[in-house]
Amino acid sequence: MKFQLNEKQLGYAMVAPALILVILVTLWPVAQSFYNSLFDYRLNDPSRSERFINSNVDLERYANDYFYLSRDLEALEGQAPDADDAAAAAEISQEFEAYHAELLEMDGLAEQYEEVEGMIASFTAISDRDLKYAQVDNDWAEGFKEFLGDSSQQLIDISSDAEDEAFAATAANVAGSLQLVDTAVIESNFIGFSNYQRYLTDGRMWQSMWNTLLFTVTSVFAELVLGLMIALLINRAFVGRGIVRASVLIPWAIPTAVAAMMWGFLYDGQTGIVAHYFEQFGFIDDASVLLSTGAGGMFSVIFADVWKTTPYMALLLLAGLQTIPGSLYEAAEVDGAGKWQQFWKITLPLLKSAILVALLFRTLDAFRVFDLIFVLTGGGPANSTESISIYAYITLFSQSNFGAGSVLSVIVFISVAIISTLFIKFIGSDLFAGKTGR
Amino acid sequence: MKLWNKKVAGATVLTMSLLLAACSGDDEATDTGTDTGGDTGGDEGTEEQVTITYAAGVDVTGATDVLIEEFEAQNPNINVEYREMPADTGASHDQYVTMFSSQDASIDVFDADVIWPAEFAQGQYALELDRFIEADGINMDDYFPGTVASGQFNGRQYAMPKFTDAGLLYYRTDIVEEPPTTWDELITMAGELQGEAGTEFGYLMQANQYEGMVTNAIEFIASHGGQVVDENNEVVVNSPETIAGIQTMIDIVNSDFVPSNILSFQETETNNAWVGGQSVFARNWPYMQSTSADEEASEVAGNVGFATLPEGDAGSAATLGGWMTMINRYSENQEAAWEFVKFMTGPEGQTISAVEGGRAPTIEALYDEAEVQEAATLFANEQFVETLQNAVPRPVTPIYPRISDIMQVQLSQALAGDITAEEAAANMQEEMEAAMAE
Repeated sequence: MKFQLNEKQLGYAMVAPALILVILVTLWPVAQSFYNSLFDYRLNDPSRSERFINSNVDLERYANDYFYLSRDLEALEGQAPDADDAAAAAEISQEFEAYHAELLEMDGLAEQYEEVEGMIASFTAISDRDLKYAQVDNDWAEGFKEFLGDSSQQLIDISSDAEDEAFAATAANVAGSLQLVDTAVIESNFIGFSNYQRYLTDGRMWQSMWNTLLFTVTSVFAELVLGLMIALLINRAFVGRGIVRASVLIPWAIPTAVAAMMWGFLYDGQTGIVAHYFEQFGFIDDASVLLSTGAGGMFSVIFADVWKTTPYMALLLLAGLQTIPGSLYEAAEVDGAGKWQQFWKITLPLLKSAILVALLFRTLDAFRVFDLIFVLTGGGPANSTESISIYAYITLFSQSNFGAGSVLSVIVFISVAIISTLFIKFIGSDLFAGKTGR
Repeated sequence: MKLWNKKVAGATVLTMSLLLAACSGDDEATDTGTDTGGDTGGDEGTEEQVTITYAAGVDVTGATDVLIEEFEAQNPNINVEYREMPADTGASHDQYVTMFSSQDASIDVFDADVIWPAEFAQGQYALELDRFIEADGINMDDYFPGTVASGQFNGRQYAMPKFTDAGLLYYRTDIVEEPPTTWDELITMAGELQGEAGTEFGYLMQANQYEGMVTNAIEFIASHGGQVVDENNEVVVNSPETIAGIQTMIDIVNSDFVPSNILSFQETETNNAWVGGQSVFARNWPYMQSTSADEEASEVAGNVGFATLPEGDAGSAATLGGWMTMINRYSENQEAAWEFVKFMTGPEGQTISAVEGGRAPTIEALYDEAEVQEAATLFANEQFVETLQNAVPRPVTPIYPRISDIMQVQLSQALAGDITAEEAAANMQEEMEAAMAE
């Protein structure tokens, strides 16, 4: 008996590598973003700059602070003007050393700590994560942090009551050092879905979502109508058709950032030619409203987007038009159908799948709009043109808040998934079912 | 069967190699060119060659090249490689954050906008400079206090002041005898003089939704006695003084003597309109002095004067701008990097920056040097030096990008008339407190 696969299994086995690759390439980044979004993860905050499931101690900072703190605590005891303060300082000092001893007793920590101390003494920054962070017991960390907070507060009180100025200053310094040690003890920053809760109730998120939807629906609809007109036009045979076809594509060929820059000059309230003529024709009451009012800004980005991507729409629809056999029109002609009827009865139904693909592509594209708005208005004025992608960018890169930025990215991903599903469900079931319904 | 095996094997190999290619990111440590000897005993005393990399924004003045040449002449064993960064501060900030978060050591020294040091210090991107400053006996009191404070975090110095900037009021000497001293006077004069000598506007400022608008707002707020964050790191933005400041800003932006598209004005637009002779007054950084004096490009050459910004109820205030120099914490050549920082931010380096690049020194004593005074008319002007001394720093906080974003959004809405000054202040207070508490 030799092991054999039947034909079906064989087929699956053949495509398995490709399937695995597709899943890895498409879903892995999304999964990564989703994982990030479950943490309060901020690159520029050392107590949250990693994804910690458990409590950790940042040994590099701890060792650095410990060196100063243990020295200062002893000095404080010696400086204390009265017995109560001395006793309090001694107690804090003892308890602190006890926690320190407990830390070093943990599994393998003594050696690690020594190595870190050596590197600090030679002013070498520690880039090895495994050396820098030591996982510690969650309860120990909680207890230690509580002690640090309490004792720092206690010293602040002592400092403000003390009459001896030098002692008050030292006490305040030690309180500050205790707070520094506190930030070196890192509790888990796993927060589950609370970031989602925060952003789903965040007015700015919904405002940017609304801006994105308004932008998407308006611009895609305008592009569809205009694109269809242009496609019908360049589908006909006339003199110079090649030139027209080529020139229609120019806006699509210009990089978006450059086009946005260009439109920025055209819309400019002082020198913009487009703004000037809009004012002349009475579309707007003043040339400046295009870039300095909310509604004007929204109109401006939509108008620039329509100008830029209508050719793309036209091209996709033209490809669809070319597949419709001419004999159908001849037959309709013989049956006495007018041009208008031909368009409604033949062109549109047969163009349905091309329209659907074009719409789906453009909707997803428009929903993720970033570069055009970023360059043209930067999301202003007063956030009236901030799309969800811009908001995510600001959160991720300007504020280095990876947790929250990932939440927004996941929201974008989910929205895009919903849009695709709706398209496929309501309009294009026959297109994706692999066979036509006729 | 054999055939099938071959095919599967082929597909698997292909898949694996694709995956490997995708995974083999660029993890190699960037080598800065020379071997610093390390601990291999290959050191030849002081003759050892070190190469450090210095990153700074695009410099059109050429001062950076002169600085590097001069430094290399004085320190034959240190080579400096210059790496250009984007001119836009926001873009370079985001690049630095990305690099330093991944502990990239390819940059040793870099220029930092005055608003970054706190964030970079907290994120452990920058090296503490205190031990170097102490060892070399540098007196930080020689520098303007505001610039030194911008480079401090938790009582330690992370950045050395390289050059400074402060907002100024420019006026047309052919139209105005005496510049206005208060905001009320400015409003009156700008309204009356608008249209004189071919001008179109009375006043220009930066009101677009971006960092520059925050600097303008701080000037209005501080001159009325308001603050955003006080010395104890408490948010105090919701005060009658701040509201009065914001109200003045709203009044000016919505007046008839500013361009109707003032909401899209950044520094560039201000400068272009100003050198085109379109306005009587303008608020801009010191650099506009040299662009106005450029006979070829400016229509107002010889007719431009400048003064401190108008006073509110609490005197005049100019926002502190300018750049600092910091050392990457992961730099492998800390000593050499420090030598370069010390040279650049010391009297000699700052003199070169002033003479070659027209940049205002941060060392007070340099303004008495003939060489510096000749570099620009500004530097010989006592009023200007006084402005620099009293420049108001923007909030020094590690979450500055977030604070700035909150201010931009709220102020932009207030200027557009969507909310009142009171609402803007209340919203800023609430959002900043929430951001600080996170």
